[in-house]
Amino acid sequence: MILTDFQKDAITEIVNIAFGRAVASLSELTGSRILLTVPKLEICTIDQLPSVLMEILNSDVCTVHQIFTGEVSGDALLILDYKGATVLASLLTGEEIENMETSAKEVLIEVGNILLNACLGTFENMLHVHITFSVPHLHLNQLNHTLNTIKMGKEEIRYVILVVTTFTVKESNVGGYLLIVLGVVSLDKFIQCIKNLEMDR
Amino acid sequence: MEKILIIDDSALSRKMLKGILIEGGYDVIEAAEGVSGIEKYFLERPAVVILDLLMEAMPGLEVLKKIKQLDQNACIIVATADIQEATKEEVMNEGATAFINKPFKKETVLDAVSRALKRRKS
Repeated sequence: MILTDFQKDAITEIVNIAFGRAVASLSELTGSRILLTVPKLEICTIDQLPSVLMEILNSDVCTVHQIFTGEVSGDALLILDYKGATVLASLLTGEEIENMETSAKEVLIEVGNILLNACLGTFENMLHVHITFSVPHLHLNQLNHTLNTIKMGKEEIRYVILVVTTFTVKESNVGGYLLIVLGVVSLDKFIQCIKNLEMDR
Repeated sequence: MEKILIIDDSALSRKMLKGILIEGGYDVIEAAEGVSGIEKYFLERPAVVILDLLMEAMPGLEVLKKIKQLDQNACIIVATADIQEATKEEVMNEGATAFINKPFKKETVLDAVSRALKRRKS
């Protein structure tokens, strides 16, 4: 899958805008300012994803997974390193959390729900595609296991738009990664929407 | 025709802004990163700068500080995806003329530019 420089730039900028909305929600929840790094975009097949992620994630992870359907369908994942997830849960609950207990899991599912909805909602608004969201699920197992659940029963080639960005909650370094997994048909539709955006101006 | 300088590392955002500004009757020049943006500011002397915050190499906040340090009268509109109030406060404290958010709305952009130009002339 070869994208033009403009298409790559457009996806990065749309995600940048989406993440801007998302972290503002997180800022309201935590009561702290959130700093963002410039997002970095990678496109790979789902089979290549584990090795790509190994380069940036070398610890246990906590993943919020949400399926979306509609004109563009796929899987959206928010991946936090385990330590970052406990820090975030502590910040949001005001309690010291070291392990992922039920209440901490619920908090992170809600954070994932807010962040992923803000991102996908921005895609919906900017690209004029209608998307319906499923209930998000939290995975605390190894990343490979989560990736396998995405692959299961789907035979078409699945591409991953991997956007790596780090958001820093004031005085604590909570790293987050956003993944959007699209089938080849949806990715084509997504790129077509970006082309339309390009022609609008 | 008033000249507006866009400093943004995103080709998409520059293209969208340029379209809005040309429709609004402005002359537009562009820079894809901070250092060349500062150079273009002092070479071309635009009436208004529209500046992104989140950029590689030289962040928008540094560009804002540098231009304001060298030209206190510079009219700089910060245009960012970061919608946090704390960010707005920070850039306004550093001397930004206005703060607008992405994705761009034509009316918001043209209104901010028009206000900045009026303020510059008064």
